Amino acid sequence: MLLEVSTLAAGYLGQTVVQGVNLEVSPGEVVAIIGSNGAGKTTLMRAIAGLLRPMAGRVSLAGRDMTRWPAHRVAGAGVAYVPAERHLFPAMTVKTNLVLGAYPHRPQREALELVFEIFPALKPRLQQRAGTLSGGQQQMVAVGRALVAQPRLLMLDEPSTGLAPKLAKDAFEALGSLKGRGMTLLVAEQQVPLALSVADRGYVLENGRITLEGTPHELDRNPEVRRAYLGVA
Amino acid sequence: MTGGRLPARLGNLVPVARGRAFLPILAAGVLVLVVPQVWFADSEYTTSLAVQALAFAGYAVGFNLIFGTTNQLFLCVGALAGIGAYGTGILSNHASLPIWVGIVAGTIVAAAVGGLMSWVAVRRSLGVIFTGVLTLAFSFAFQDLLFGQQHLTGGSTGQTLTAAAASLADNQIGGYYLFGAVVIGFLIIFRLLQISHFGWAFRALRDDELAAELAGVNVARYRICAAVIGSAMIGLTGGLYAYSEGFISPPTFAFDQVDVTVLVLVAFGGLGTLLGPLIAAVVFAFVDNALVNSGQLRELIYGAIIVVIFLGFRRGVPQTLGAIVRRFIPHDKVGTRWRLPLSVRQRERS
Amino acid sequence: MKAVILDGIILGLGFGLLGVGMTLVYGLGGVLNLAYGEFAVLAAIVVAQAISGGMPTVLAAVLGILAAATAGVLLDLSLMRPVYRQSTGHRVLLGLMLTLGLAFVIEGVLTWRDPLGGLTISIGGKPISILGVPIAVGSVWAALITLAVGVVLLVFFAATTFGRGVRSVIQDELGARLVGISPSLVRTVIFGLSGALAGLVAVTQSMTSPLTVSGGFNLTVYALIVSVVGGLGSVAGAFLAGILLGIVDDVSARYIGSYISDIVLLGAAALTILVRPRGLFGS
Repeated sequence: MLLEVSTLAAGYLGQTVVQGVNLEVSPGEVVAIIGSNGAGKTTLMRAIAGLLRPMAGRVSLAGRDMTRWPAHRVAGAGVAYVPAERHLFPAMTVKTNLVLGAYPHRPQREALELVFEIFPALKPRLQQRAGTLSGGQQQMVAVGRALVAQPRLLMLDEPSTGLAPKLAKDAFEALGSLKGRGMTLLVAEQQVPLALSVADRGYVLENGRITLEGTPHELDRNPEVRRAYLGVA
Repeated sequence: MTGGRLPARLGNLVPVARGRAFLPILAAGVLVLVVPQVWFADSEYTTSLAVQALAFAGYAVGFNLIFGTTNQLFLCVGALAGIGAYGTGILSNHASLPIWVGIVAGTIVAAAVGGLMSWVAVRRSLGVIFTGVLTLAFSFAFQDLLFGQQHLTGGSTGQTLTAAAASLADNQIGGYYLFGAVVIGFLIIFRLLQISHFGWAFRALRDDELAAELAGVNVARYRICAAVIGSAMIGLTGGLYAYSEGFISPPTFAFDQVDVTVLVLVAFGGLGTLLGPLIAAVVFAFVDNALVNSGQLRELIYGAIIVVIFLGFRRGVPQTLGAIVRRFIPHDKVGTRWRLPLSVRQRERS
Repeated sequence: MKAVILDGIILGLGFGLLGVGMTLVYGLGGVLNLAYGEFAVLAAIVVAQAISGGMPTVLAAVLGILAAATAGVLLDLSLMRPVYRQSTGHRVLLGLMLTLGLAFVIEGVLTWRDPLGGLTISIGGKPISILGVPIAVGSVWAALITLAVGVVLLVFFAATTFGRGVRSVIQDELGARLVGISPSLVRTVIFGLSGALAGLVAVTQSMTSPLTVSGGFNLTVYALIVSVVGGLGSVAGAFLAGILLGIVDDVSARYIGSYISDIVLLGAAALTILVRPRGLFGS
C-alpha cells in the first residue's frame, strides 16, 4: 500500500471535521474522494498533506508513519499536494514556479518534459509571471509544479474549482493521461461524474465520515450516490 | 437610533448593555477623586508623578481610539501632543493671547493634522505598517521643526510659558484634578462612541474590514472621525501639559519619549479597551518610580519588563487576568455579554 | 552637483543595505524588528573591543558581524517563536512589542557596560578621485563593500535555490511548504543574515563617521523607512529606495540647509508611500 490512512480524525480549534476515516491508495491507482461542499474533503486532504495536524489516527506512506510530519517534510517524502487555491508564487515566472517544485534539487529534464507534454500551453508562457495567468493556466502551473517534484503520490483538491466546464473537463483529461503514465493520484472532487471518469476507486465522504467505497461502476449504480450527487431521481 | 434593525452579526458586536456602560468610568472617577485625599495630596513629588501618569493616560486614550478601534497605527502621538503644547506656548508667548485660546487652537490644529493624515491614509488605502511609517516620518519631521524654528520654539533650550507660571505650575494638586477630569471626560467620550452606532461600526471594522464595508459601513468616514477625535484628545492633553508644567522642550514630545510609552501602555492595557490605558498608565507610573534609583540599569529592566509582560499576557494584562479570574468563578456569573461572536473568538485562538 | 550626487549615492548604498535586513525579515513573517539597529550597535561595540584588545581590524570586523548574526539567530529561536504562532493580525503588534523590549535591553546592557563606547574605523590615505570628485578613502571602501554585498545578495536571491526558496516563502508561505520548504528554517537563516547585515552596516558606517551606543534607534528608524519606501519584502526595492533617499538627503543638505534636509528626506519618504502605497517594488 502506498498511502494508508486509518481511523483519522482532524479539524480546527478542537472541533472535529472528519473522523474515523480509513482510506488506502495502492501504487499506480487513481482514487477519488467525492462528497458535497462542506463534507470535509479539504480537511482530510490537508491532514494527509501535513498542513493540519491530525487529532487521532495514523497516516503512513509506504509503511512509514508520517502522521505528525510538517507539510514540508511530507512534500520531501514524495507526496505532492495541489490545493484548490493553488498557492502559486505570483510574482515569479512560470518557469521559476516549476523549478521550485523540485526544491531543494534542480528539476529533472524528463520531469519538465512530462509537464510540457501534459500542458503544452505552458511552454510559450514560461517567462510570464504566474500571477498574470488565467485560472485554467494557473491550475496547470500548480499541477506542473507538483509534477516537477516527481512525486510518488499526487494529491489534488477540487481541480475543477473556478474553471469553466470545458476547462474542468480538460483538467480531468490531463489527469487521465497522467494515470496512463502510471502516476498514483488521490483526487477530492465534488463534481462526481468528472471524478468517476478517471478513478479506479472512489470513497464517498459525508459529514466527515466515509459512508461508501467502491469502483466507479458500483458507485454509479448506487441509488444513494445517484440521488445525492448525480442528480438522478 | 438604528438599534432595532441591526443585522444579526453586528447585533452581537454591540459591546455593552447601555445601563451599565458608564459604571467603570464612575468607579475610575471616584478613585481619581479620592486617592489623593487619602494618600499623596501633601507630597509634591508623588503628585507630579500622578500628573505625569494622567497625562500619559490622556495620550493613551486618544491613541487607543485611533489605533485600538479603527486600526490606524498613528506613530505621531508625541508630535500631535507637541502641536497642542507648542500652539499654546507660541500663542501665549508671541501673540500674548490668553492661555486657553492657545490650548483651543492647538487642539484644533492637532485634530486637523490627525484628520488630514487619516484622510490621506484612507484615500490611498494604506495598510497598518504604511500608516505607521507615514506618521513616524511626520513625527521625526516635527521634531526637526522644533529644533529648527528656534525663534518660535526656543529650539533645544525649550520655552517657558510665562503666563502659565503663576497660575498652575505652582499648584500641583490643581493640575492633578484638571488632568483627572480631562481623562475621565475622554473615557466618557470613548464609551459614548462605543455604544453609539460608531461602536459597532468600529467593532465590525476590526473584525473584518471588507465584510464591514460590504455591510454598508462607511469605513473611511469612521476612520477619519476616530482620527480627528483621538488627535484632538492628544492635542488637548499636550496643551494642558504645557500649561501645567509651564515649560516645554522638544524631548518632551519626542517619539521615543511619548509614542513608545503610549504604545506600551495601550498594548499592556489591551487594545481597544475602555479602562486599559488608564490602568496601564497607573501601573507604569509605579514601575517608573520603582526604577528611578536603578540608574544605568533602568533601561535594561524596563525592556525586560516589556518582554516578560508581552510573553506572558499576549492579549493585554487586564484581559488575561480577567480570563484567569473567570476560570475560578462559575461561567454564567461573569456576564456573557462580554463574549465575542464566534468568528472573533476563533481567530483569537488560532 | 556631481559631487553631491555621488556622496548621496554612497550614503544611499548604506541606507539600502540597512533596509535589506529589515525588509527580508518583515517579508518572511510580518515582523518589524525594532531591535535591528541595536544589533548594529552590538556589532560596533564588539569590533571596537576586539580592536582595542589588539585584534587586526578585518578580523575584528568579521567577529562583530558574526556576533550580530548570532544575535539575530538567537532572537528568532527564542522571542520570535511565540510570535509566529499568532495569527497575522496579532503577530505585527506582538512582534513590535517584543523587539522593542529587546531593543531596550540591548541598549541598556551596552550603556551599562560601556556608556561611552563607539566605533570609528579610520582608513588613512589621500582622497581618491572618482569622476573628478575627491572622495575620502573610508567612504570609497564603505561604498565598495556595500556595493559588492548588494550584488551578491541580488544574485543570491535571484539565482540560487535557497534564495528562490526565501522569495517563495515571502510570496506564498503555504505554497512554499507544499514544495518542501520549511518556512521556520528559512526564517532562522534570514534572521541570521539580517543580523549580519546590521553588523556590516555598523562596520561600513564607522568608516565614515563614528557609531555610538545611542545611535541604534536612529538606524532602526532609517531601516524602517527605507524598507517601507522600497516595498516590504523586496531586496532590490530597499537598495533603490536607499539610493534615492540618500541623494535627496545630500542634495537638500547642500542646497537647502541643515535641518530642513531631514524634513525633506522624511517628506520624500512620505510622498513615495503616498504615490505608491505598497512601496517602489511592493506587490
